[in-house]
Amino acid sequence: MEWARDSLKRLEDSREARRNAVHEELSQEEVDRLLQEHHPDHSGKGRSIAVGANANATAFPIELADLLESKSRLPDDYVPAADIETDVLIIGGGGAACSAALALNESGLKTLLCAKLRLGDSNTVMAEGGIQAALGPEDSAQRHFADSLVGGHGKNDPQLLKRLCEQGPEGIRWLTELGCLFDVTEEGMFRLRLGGGASVPRVLACRDYTGLEIMRTLKDATRLTTTEIMEDCPALELLDDGAGQVSGATIWNRQKNCLQSVSARAVLLATGGAGQLRFQQFGTSNHVGATGDGLVLAYRQGCHLEHGGSFQYHPSGSCYPEAMSGRLVTEAIRSVGAQVVNNEGHCFINELTYRDVLAAAIIREVREGRGIQTPAGSCGVWLDTPLIDIKHGAGTLQKQFPGIVHRFAPFGIDPSQTPILIYPTLHYQNGGVRVDEWCRTEINGLWAAGEVTGGLHGTNRLMGNSLLDIITFGRRAGESIKAQLPERKAATRSAADRFQRDLQKLSESSVQGPQLFPVEMNMNATPGQ
Amino acid sequence: MAGINVMSQEHIEVIVSGKALKARPGLTLTHALWEAGRAGEVQTGCDGGVCGACTVSIQLKGDSKTLIDLACQRQVEDGMTVFPYPAPTIPAVAPNREISPESIRAAFPTLDRCTKCGACSMVCPMDIPVMDSVTRMRSGAFEEAAEDFTSCIHCGQCRVVCEDRVKPHNMGMWVRRSLGMAQNWERLAGSAVNSPDESWDLLLDCDEETRLARCREFRKTGRVES
Repeated sequence: MEWARDSLKRLEDSREARRNAVHEELSQEEVDRLLQEHHPDHSGKGRSIAVGANANATAFPIELADLLESKSRLPDDYVPAADIETDVLIIGGGGAACSAALALNESGLKTLLCAKLRLGDSNTVMAEGGIQAALGPEDSAQRHFADSLVGGHGKNDPQLLKRLCEQGPEGIRWLTELGCLFDVTEEGMFRLRLGGGASVPRVLACRDYTGLEIMRTLKDATRLTTTEIMEDCPALELLDDGAGQVSGATIWNRQKNCLQSVSARAVLLATGGAGQLRFQQFGTSNHVGATGDGLVLAYRQGCHLEHGGSFQYHPSGSCYPEAMSGRLVTEAIRSVGAQVVNNEGHCFINELTYRDVLAAAIIREVREGRGIQTPAGSCGVWLDTPLIDIKHGAGTLQKQFPGIVHRFAPFGIDPSQTPILIYPTLHYQNGGVRVDEWCRTEINGLWAAGEVTGGLHGTNRLMGNSLLDIITFGRRAGESIKAQLPERKAATRSAADRFQRDLQKLSESSVQGPQLFPVEMNMNATPGQ
Repeated sequence: MAGINVMSQEHIEVIVSGKALKARPGLTLTHALWEAGRAGEVQTGCDGGVCGACTVSIQLKGDSKTLIDLACQRQVEDGMTVFPYPAPTIPAVAPNREISPESIRAAFPTLDRCTKCGACSMVCPMDIPVMDSVTRMRSGAFEEAAEDFTSCIHCGQCRVVCEDRVKPHNMGMWVRRSLGMAQNWERLAGSAVNSPDESWDLLLDCDEETRLARCREFRKTGRVES
């Protein structure tokens, strides 16, 4: 990294003076101004849409607005027939989908899980830093609630958040019973780390592979159930009975390259987020399936989207080398001591403040000329990772964060010796489909769980609350479906067709939705071709 | 000819599935395939090195050795030859909290067939010492074996290359889950005590602004009083 020599020199020169310095918290006025001026949610680049439950009310990012007003991917002459019959249809292949499948196991209900990619190829598997649960001696579900609500700017749905925090310890117990191995202290108790915005240590981890540990365990456990699993089967449309109840879905079986309609008594949307829509040309830390499909499908059925314009830009996305652009560098690295430093060698903010605030501060540094320019034309600030070994002893970074060391190694970068260049990356969909505390949407027959839902996290999510979200609410969705399974109804495309007619009255969209794959992938997403 | 020379400065050539691919240096194989409109040739899942969908076999220019790597982690190099190399999923084996040399052999009868050829360790894209770990499993050193497989992404390559039908990554999962299930929850969690239930009312039964103010106070003092 010869091109950054001068900047790295300034960083090293300032290290001794700043390593133990404590940054004052910003005042509420300073936080509000920073977010207004520099957070991408407030860039004024969104637009409202003309049809559906959020018509003329919410400003969505343009790429998402286009998809919410998009044409169906079903051919006009396609008439759904019950090619496949199941009691429960789970759409999605990540942590929420598997948690629900496990909750439904041994219920006697026939469960079919349709994943767009392979089972487990999801944002869950990519989560690094950890999962929150109030297990510390000074902690409580109420304190977890307070931290999360302040982090979410008070916009969180309090009932959803109460459930999440109350069930944190139970979720960890369940994962442990399934065989998850979380990091422990020398005394053999869970090691709890401080997460950004948390007032006490509450984050459990498995090194920086927490999502991998949870996902591979859930996947293995799900494969041992009677759940039928269909991979490479994205959902193109939800089906309904013509009287307001969702009753199935049409999927594109990509292995057979044909459309198949599924008749189901209950449908669970567990389709995840939308980072691959790459709003305002941001990079993303998300897997390739994260194209907001569930939002589009639920919206056509009449569901509201809560906080649909709120997204999380993770402060530490990698921005060098180009091949690693947008990839996640876990927040846990900051919780054990890596500072965020600009081109002048100055630590400009408390690195453990809320994610939206830190992201906005980094964007400000870059806009105001205090960023570091890479040869490929990106610009970012330093994450002073060598500080971890300096503070905690040689080998600490490798031991606690083997993933980050492994991923940078092919590029000749050792983060224990060289700082990492970071810039915010599109990471999480804070908002989504409106649900109640049993994951029921406003539409009969349709449940939703995980990142596709909105309300729980307000307008900014704390680290470790998304893994707890998918475990808690994935399981609750399964329980709720068991308790309230509707009768089987006809599976027609009437709600989706009605939405299309409303749309055509107002605009002529050329966009087809759901998008299914990132634009960058140049995939042909047309069934039958 | 001049035009071709300019091209060769800006692009390198990789052969994927027998077909030439012009690629910008610095890209991963995955992104080079995307840019060329050939995304369908190698499966992609996370594009972040942890899902194992995009395994490929690679031969570098002038080297007869075959490597296995993740297309999303490997940069393009001029003259490299690449084939998709996915591993099919095989059925999971139920873990057993009574983990022992006997129970692992009951779950995986091929465990002792390992002839220590080392192919599994060679192909692992996560640099897990797979063969050594299989040896540890044979000797009952389960804690160490579980540690070895911390970073396993379940790409399945160690199983695919094993001529002795040993299933290292499935065994790694089995050992980790079996040990995990045998943990003592009370010991791990300690005596986590929740604060009294009445504070929920103060946090819930109020308007948004009051709730936010009370939560701010709670964060500072650990209590809500009014």
